[in-house]
Amino acid sequence: MKCTILHDLPRRLRVHLCCGRMTLSQADVLEYYLLSVAGVKSVKVYDRTRDAVVVYDGARAGVIRALADFSFAKAEKLDLVPEHTSRALNRAFEDKLAVTVMCRCACKLFLPMPIASALAVIRSVKYIREGLCALWHRQLSVAVLDGTAVGVSILRGDYSTAGSVMFMLRLGEILEEWTHKKSVADLASAMSLGVDKVWLQAEDTEVLTDVNAIRPGDRIVIRTGGMIPLDGKVVEGEAMVNQSSLTGESMPVAKGPGSFVYAGTVAEEGQCVICVEKASGSGRYDRVVRMIEESEKLKSTAEDKAARMADRLVPYTLGGTVLTYLVTRNVTKMLSVLMVDFSCALKLAIPIAVLSAMRESTGHHISVKGGRFLEAVAKADTIVFDKTGTLTCATPTVAEVIPFGGQQEAEMLRLAACLEEHYPHSIANAVVEAARQRGLSHAEYHSQVQYVVAHGISSMVEEKKVIIGSAHFVFEDELCRIPEGEQDKFDAISPAYSHLYLCIDGVLAAVICIHDPLRREARDAVKTLHACGFANVVMMTGDNRRTAEAVARTVGVDAVYAEVLPEDKAAFIRAEKAKGHTVIMVGDGVNDSPALSEADAGIAISTGAAIAREIADITIASENLFELVILRRLSQALMGRIQDSYRFIVGFNLSLIVLGVAGILPPTVSALLHNGSTLGISLKNMTDLLDEGEASQT
Amino acid sequence: MDMKKIGLFAAGVLFGTAGIKVLSSKDAKKAYAQTTAAALRAKDSVMTTVTAVRESADDIYAEAQAINERRAQAEAEAVVEDTSGEAEESKAE
Repeated sequence: MKCTILHDLPRRLRVHLCCGRMTLSQADVLEYYLLSVAGVKSVKVYDRTRDAVVVYDGARAGVIRALADFSFAKAEKLDLVPEHTSRALNRAFEDKLAVTVMCRCACKLFLPMPIASALAVIRSVKYIREGLCALWHRQLSVAVLDGTAVGVSILRGDYSTAGSVMFMLRLGEILEEWTHKKSVADLASAMSLGVDKVWLQAEDTEVLTDVNAIRPGDRIVIRTGGMIPLDGKVVEGEAMVNQSSLTGESMPVAKGPGSFVYAGTVAEEGQCVICVEKASGSGRYDRVVRMIEESEKLKSTAEDKAARMADRLVPYTLGGTVLTYLVTRNVTKMLSVLMVDFSCALKLAIPIAVLSAMRESTGHHISVKGGRFLEAVAKADTIVFDKTGTLTCATPTVAEVIPFGGQQEAEMLRLAACLEEHYPHSIANAVVEAARQRGLSHAEYHSQVQYVVAHGISSMVEEKKVIIGSAHFVFEDELCRIPEGEQDKFDAISPAYSHLYLCIDGVLAAVICIHDPLRREARDAVKTLHACGFANVVMMTGDNRRTAEAVARTVGVDAVYAEVLPEDKAAFIRAEKAKGHTVIMVGDGVNDSPALSEADAGIAISTGAAIAREIADITIASENLFELVILRRLSQALMGRIQDSYRFIVGFNLSLIVLGVAGILPPTVSALLHNGSTLGISLKNMTDLLDEGEASQT
Repeated sequence: MDMKKIGLFAAGVLFGTAGIKVLSSKDAKKAYAQTTAAALRAKDSVMTTVTAVRESADDIYAEAQAINERRAQAEAEAVVEDTSGEAEESKAE
């Protein structure tokens, strides 16, 4: 496209595009096109003037060539623009602000005094009514302050002051709404970028496919613990579906062929095939927005405290106003106290800090479902790990199958896989994967699982009772025995592996050794977590004691609990909380769910089961345990920032009041400074908490 | 006095019938639309001017930064480096 260069500096270029009008979406197309050019660092496109500012690092010629090559039609096809940009939102609020300011100016200039006064009186009704409403509900809230300020001015016949006050309040409202909407939108677009994968049923096999590639009419397979990514209808199988993300009802609902299932719900048990009705589109973004709005109801207690503090300060402000009037008998000075209130600053700046921290954590592949969980992470002194999938690699492997009682090794693996495929746990996956690798098909065996408990599975295969699970489950609960004369062989099994025991009709048939290597960074991560102020790092596992203790020694945790049941994990967390500790739980499987919801903040490693992710308050997408350290630093930095904002707001505004009373600042100036400082601190709170060095250092 | 009252009454009747008609007539609505459109255009032109001013201000700021960078560079180039090999402990930079 033809462009003229308006301003040219080394590494910065401002150009004018010679095109007709530029729409908002075209501006986005241009912006993301230029950003995709090699060497370009930042781009700003002004659609009104059809100008673009390009800051680049590479060669100038490359930028010029890219501009010359550009055309809207061509760039649109590249599909570079994300689904949601904040340009339209910014434009709407910019316009709102501009119109408000311009109306105010026009009114001041052209409207005759009597009409302006009448308008001021009419508009004041809203504020006075809200103030009275709050009083009626016996609340001394900010609305009372605003109503008083406006009402007093009107009563004094000082319509222009009343007008100014209302104008300021209106500007504040618009800015507040803008910043809030923008933070939510930023957060949502950052969070909705992650792509889910689903199992697509194609003829006789299943293919792991991107959700975006699924079209209406496709059939997808959902298993226990899996999230249903799209709306659709069940065509095969049965599942208990937890729809709490839609309805808030935590009891799962049974879904059979013909019933509808909805995106964002989780299959708690069972397996079904779904015929997709609606392809993935804006659904995910909307869901994320809804989730954020939901989580805002779970405000962090710091936010809550700010709101309460704001309202608690109101009586003092009112008292101060009355006192000032009594002492000085000067209405201007009295008004200057009223003009400054802490509340809107506190109510705006602190939620923004929290939202921005949530956005920043998304940048580190951590999604946080609400501010109060960040606060819990900052405060926590105890961190509990479930061993498998968190401290150890997410993908354990089968090292060895040791048959007992004259059974065939391959046959036993086939049987184990047949049972384990019903259970979404990383160890179960390892067994199924091992069978697949050895080409052992187990479809013909297909049997209905009788029950799945925390530590094992029981089923009927060819009229025989088959159980698989931990030592505790197999030998103590189910009273299985080791075949005669093979006790020595059993004792000789290497303790370096985790073990699964398979029994047929109450006799041990095989021991499957699972190799579950520690993550490389586990030891260092635990050390750093200690340094970050976690006094108590605990490891829990359903594994046997010997293996667990060996791992614990290597990693350097403070306490280890082996052979625990899911309820035990939850009970331990409850007990620690009762002792006054703040507890974080890190887990990945279905069996961690009770503990995750019991903890002050439950963290799921997102390679694990979908149900863990749904229940968890925080999800870490990365494979790296150091993300936990980043999360801790981030939340501590956030708490620091909240404290600082708090002190600054109270200090600054208090001095404004004092200056106002002393008569040094007139009411309008203090109102301006007050609003300016509020805006300033809100903007500051939108910036990142951790600088790049700090984040990459870990 | 009487005449004034009658006059006011007549004016009121006239406004209540013909006046309202005129104010809500199709032509009047067109006039309102035109006025509103003019106001919106005025707003847009103000916003465009504001944008242009902002761009120019950004240009000036960027240019100022470039000037300072050049100065700093020139100053750095004006220093003759010490290559004697006698390292000064205090000014180890």
